[in-house]
Amino acid sequence: MSVAVRERFGGLTRAEQGAVGFVVLLAALLFLGLLTGGLAPTYFLYLVGLVGMYVLLSFGLNVQWGYTGLINFSVAAFFGLGAYGTALLTAGNSPLGVEGSRLLGIIPLTIIGLLVAIVLAVVVAVAIGIPTLRLRADYLAIASLGLAEVVRLVFLNQRDWTNGSAGLRGIPGFFDGWPVLETFPEAMPGLRVEALELSIPGVFSTEILGFTLGTPFWQALLNVAFVLVLVGIVFAVLRRAHRSPWGRVMRTIRSDEDLAEALGKDTYAFKMQAFVLGSVIMALAGVFYAHLNLFVSPGDLEPINTFYVWIAVILGGSGSNRGAMFGGFVVIAIREGTRFLGELLPGALPTAGIPFTDLVVSFPTVIETTYTTVVNNFASTRLLAVGLLIVLVMRFRPQGMLPPQRELIWPRSVAESAGPGETNPRETIEEEATATAHAADASAGVGDDGQTAGDATDAEPAGDDSTPDASGPDDGTADGSEDAPDEGGGRNE
Amino acid sequence: MSESERLRDGPNLDKEDVVLRVDGLRKAFGGLVATDDASFAVERGKITGLIGPNGAGKSTIFNLVSGFYEPDAGTVTVNGVDVTGAEPHAVAEEGLIRTFQTPRKLEGMTVREAMLVGPQRQPGESFVKLFTSPDAVAEAETANIEDAQRMLEQFEIDHLATQPATDLSGGQMKLVELARAMLAEPELLMLDEPVAGVNPTLANKLREHIARLNEEGVTLCIIEHDMEFIMNLADPIIVLDQGSVLVEGSPAAVRADDRVIDAYLGGGGE
Repeated sequence: MSVAVRERFGGLTRAEQGAVGFVVLLAALLFLGLLTGGLAPTYFLYLVGLVGMYVLLSFGLNVQWGYTGLINFSVAAFFGLGAYGTALLTAGNSPLGVEGSRLLGIIPLTIIGLLVAIVLAVVVAVAIGIPTLRLRADYLAIASLGLAEVVRLVFLNQRDWTNGSAGLRGIPGFFDGWPVLETFPEAMPGLRVEALELSIPGVFSTEILGFTLGTPFWQALLNVAFVLVLVGIVFAVLRRAHRSPWGRVMRTIRSDEDLAEALGKDTYAFKMQAFVLGSVIMALAGVFYAHLNLFVSPGDLEPINTFYVWIAVILGGSGSNRGAMFGGFVVIAIREGTRFLGELLPGALPTAGIPFTDLVVSFPTVIETTYTTVVNNFASTRLLAVGLLIVLVMRFRPQGMLPPQRELIWPRSVAESAGPGETNPRETIEEEATATAHAADASAGVGDDGQTAGDATDAEPAGDDSTPDASGPDDGTADGSEDAPDEGGGRNE
Repeated sequence: MSESERLRDGPNLDKEDVVLRVDGLRKAFGGLVATDDASFAVERGKITGLIGPNGAGKSTIFNLVSGFYEPDAGTVTVNGVDVTGAEPHAVAEEGLIRTFQTPRKLEGMTVREAMLVGPQRQPGESFVKLFTSPDAVAEAETANIEDAQRMLEQFEIDHLATQPATDLSGGQMKLVELARAMLAEPELLMLDEPVAGVNPTLANKLREHIARLNEEGVTLCIIEHDMEFIMNLADPIIVLDQGSVLVEGSPAAVRADDRVIDAYLGGGGE
């Protein structure tokens, strides 16, 4: 067991270890919060739900931008279409609502709502895709920026259908009208977790636990189960698609659309598929949100939500499903974490008197006022923090925290073929290549084959493979580049 | 041989087994006529060279034939199918595969992955089939990986298979591009300046590979600036000047022709 664990983690790259460490640390903090009663279990589950929602949104954008290179600035619009799609049908005060919780007394209305949301997203995605996907990437970016506003303004102003700015309230939970699951939260017994007193006599004493798990808790648990199922299904589908020839064509289009065309791939059709698939995944996140929040309004379609998702994808590593997951997690950690931080920090900088004198040390006024402004407006400063984070990521790790690092070929096919085995994570290959290149530098300094030494090609800093022009001199092969694949390929054989 | 020693004014359209036929192709960019009534035919099993001074319209013709530009007039026929004005991928489906003058890099892929974009009609390129017939997809993928590996071995670059595709030298990229194009099993392979920016050693290697492909039955059409290279490889040679075909003939005959020399000297010399 422990060997298996060590092997599993030994195979991770440094970035993966870092990401795992970060997630574990935050999870531990949250767990501590749960234990000490600082974090209510129901709210904790709500946070998990939000993370799931952002992961879905990031998955959707990752299909469009990360795989295919489509710049979509209307993430919030497709999210909104999903949320409104189901809310219009099921909300208590919806002008277009349907009475009762089941259609024809059999099918739960929320299932129909889910389908309506998907259909809405497909229709709008195709409608915006037809004129723009034949053009260069920038046109889609501009059109989607407009689309986001159009969709938001339609929901805001089409009061007869959408209730306008008042929004739609009284949305049932997703499992309303389902057999068994509908009554699950009520049927579950209320659990009282008694408070425990922890104390080291004479030193300190504290109470932990001590909360009641009632209907809201079970309801939240159901929601989390729902989003986990959605995330699980979407992840499985994307994982399969990303490593398939389909995904390969998408990645080719992202790098060089002309090349894909020249090799006989109908890029328009492929881009349309990616755009529609991504939009549907975003709509799924919207459906979940509507049934989590039980209220939707045009405010949920604000452009800022689009950019949070972009940040999640870029931070996680464009083109990587795990990166999208990690990015979604981090964005929620920042968004919700800053709330706590704002409450924890003192409202003003403390001033300290120097002992035995009348002197009082205080910070310069500029720092003091800045601090006060920041702490008292932590919610707004959050945007600044997010912006800074993006600047730092772009500066020090432009490919994101968890960029795709393994060869994306279906492993079974690699194993069955006679070619070299599955390769190691790219980062490892490059580190090895760099090391070998340096070794070659020291010993010979000139590449074999009678060509000019091209060591610069291999000595590129590790992890730079996402920069478009990481090429070396025109010709020449260094020893490193020839040795590395043998080592890399041989290890797993 | 004596037949091909002769030089014709204009193109030789009277060939037996034609893969590509271009007829009266015309393309103007604003006031500049890049291609003006160009007609020529590419015979199966041969290497046809397309030369001409700068601005003669070689690259424009390449883009017109492969569907990247839409012609103002004229027709393009591949294997008897009219592909005039078709999308590039539709032209490629008819069996005409082209390469690019500047090698295209596939970011974030290994050489092997980049190779695997080549094969046509892969079942795994259908999103639905990934989930409805996973076995067929996996089988095709295994076969393609093996084909790719074999092709890399033929081009003597199999040691690069698992290298990042962006870390190759210019010459290696040309080889990978050629190998990938071969995976598409082309009826006609069109190469756009295959040795531009490649050192002489590798250029020789490329020539050997191209000659080998031709012996294996691949039809090629090559644009090239490097006279030495093309004259030792292609026959016939079609000379373009000012957007249309000047002469067509064997390398020796073309080399000796005064009009060809005039065209080149007038255009800046070679």
